Amino acid sequence: MPKVTITRQSRPILLAGFGGLLVLMAFAGFDAARAIRQTQTRNEQIQADFLARNRQLNEIRSDVYLAGTLVRDFLLEPEPAKAEGYRKELNGLHREMDAEMGAYAHLLVTTEKAPFSSLQQRLADFWTSLDPVFGWSGEERRQRGYAFARDEVLPRRAAMLGLADQIAATNERQLRAGSDRVAELFAQVRTRLAVTLVLTLGLGCLLALFSTRRILALEGEAGSQFREVTEARGELKELSARLVEAQENERRSIARELHDEVGQSLSAVLVGLSNLSAEIAEPARSGLQPRIESVRKLAEGSVAAVRNIALLLRPSMLDDLGLVPALQWQARETSRRTGLLVNVATEHVSDQLSDEYKTCVYRVVQEAVHNASQHAAACQIRVTVHQEAERLLVSVQDDGRGFEPKIERGLGLLGMEERITRLGGSLRIDSEPGKGTLLLVDLPLIDMQKPNGHA
Amino acid sequence: MSDIRILLADDHTVMRSGLRLLLERQAGFKVVAEASDGRETVDLMESAKPDVVVLDVAMPNLNGIDAARQITQHHPAVAVVILSMHSDEGYVLRALKAGARGYLLKDAPESDLVNAVRAVHEGKAWFSPAISRMLVDDYIRQLRQHGVEDSYELLTTREREILQLLAEGKSNKDVANILKLSLYTVETHRGNMLQKLNLHGTAELILYAVRKGVIS
Repeated sequence: MPKVTITRQSRPILLAGFGGLLVLMAFAGFDAARAIRQTQTRNEQIQADFLARNRQLNEIRSDVYLAGTLVRDFLLEPEPAKAEGYRKELNGLHREMDAEMGAYAHLLVTTEKAPFSSLQQRLADFWTSLDPVFGWSGEERRQRGYAFARDEVLPRRAAMLGLADQIAATNERQLRAGSDRVAELFAQVRTRLAVTLVLTLGLGCLLALFSTRRILALEGEAGSQFREVTEARGELKELSARLVEAQENERRSIARELHDEVGQSLSAVLVGLSNLSAEIAEPARSGLQPRIESVRKLAEGSVAAVRNIALLLRPSMLDDLGLVPALQWQARETSRRTGLLVNVATEHVSDQLSDEYKTCVYRVVQEAVHNASQHAAACQIRVTVHQEAERLLVSVQDDGRGFEPKIERGLGLLGMEERITRLGGSLRIDSEPGKGTLLLVDLPLIDMQKPNGHA
Repeated sequence: MSDIRILLADDHTVMRSGLRLLLERQAGFKVVAEASDGRETVDLMESAKPDVVVLDVAMPNLNGIDAARQITQHHPAVAVVILSMHSDEGYVLRALKAGARGYLLKDAPESDLVNAVRAVHEGKAWFSPAISRMLVDDYIRQLRQHGVEDSYELLTTREREILQLLAEGKSNKDVANILKLSLYTVETHRGNMLQKLNLHGTAELILYAVRKGVIS
């Protein structure tokens, strides 16, 4: 069946779908986390770089100020000892600043290179311009010092500070560019996240669509299979009921045929035989009498046999006289055959019971009585049929061996149940080993409008 | 004594002609008409004026039992013998209820038919020996199984007399005349009997009498 193949295929498809979805989601999450961490590190790096350069630059700048101030103090100092102290301080500062400049050179970014090398040049020039000044005597310093400070030191200092500001500005630009870069990275992450989200959603929707369709298809399939099974079961039930009905009709017609045709003909044979023998003249008759008698016996036996067979197939009383006379006949027959005491008590049982009910009750009682007499070794059987407004209650009780109804359930019981269920009734069996058996049938009477439907 | 006029009804032609031969061999028997179904039988009643009607049960159009009912209703003086394949009590009771006085099994009709016709013509009830035997046997078995005391013992001598006469086919009025009692007394006795024996109607009373061997 193709349906089954499709059903088997959906497992790998569903597995792949759900697996893919999970992998995609995990990848998207991991990727986003990694990108964010990267961006964050980058951002921190940029900040740190900026701060480090800024600090270094500020130190250089303050040292430039300090150098200006120290040169001025040196120039204006009349005492040679103190001037020598300033000079030493300046030399220390020179070394210090060289170190700072060297350190900054390491942090340098491309855009800063031009102003920085200018600053370096200026600083070197500054120190070089100081070299002759250090050799000046106190008098020389007093005479030329002020002019030197005004003409050399201050412009040089201003130029250097301007260069430092230029570098700081570049630095700030650098920082802004870094921030922009980070923002750009964030935007990239966002885009990537959005793409994976859309992808996941799309795949999820596809999967949901596929699963929904599959589930609906399966549900439909299961539903139709259930309907098929239910229909098949109904058909089977109907068929078995029809079989039982057909069997009953067949039995009825064979019994009638035997009874009315074969039996009648045999009776006619008997009458004819009797007439023939009466017509034979006396001396011959005595000689033929034994032979005539044997033929007569044979025909009589056949009539009886035909009648018995017909009654066994289906007692004509059921159709001719009704349920109660048929049950009473059955009881008498069983008593006659087995010596069992079979008692039939009926109450308000209508003569107008439809054929289905008559046949059902008759056959159920027949089976129960048969079981009681053949298997249960009962001595007494009591059959009651009681009709109420809307139901027919039948009970068959025996004092036999009893049995375990839950375990032993022969074909006979199944047949009874089948007949009873078909009429919407219920069968209860109360029995246990050694306690006899009580069989209770409750048949709802729904169709009393058409009595003797098949008669 | 004039001949007994007989109407013979059976749908089986061979059977019918055989029975006719059988009956007409008897002195004093005359088959005045033949019918092949119940309806024809009822229709022939006026023209044939029979004393005894021999009716087969299984006949088309109108079965023997229903024909018997109509005949005894419209012609109470006519005696009806039922010919049947069925030996069961239920059928016998139904025939009696329909007014038949004889019930004959088709197993062995040739030997008993003459006796039956004669008996019912004399106003007696008549059953095939096989049936009488069966009824009595069943009754005895029932008595033995139940261990119940014989209900016949419950009846007074007067009631037993009345039972026998009624079972033989006499009407209440006949019984009153024979026993020199009032009709009312006979009816009372009859009612008491039915109550004591738990019977319903004359048909069951006749069966009871057969079972008890009061009549054969």
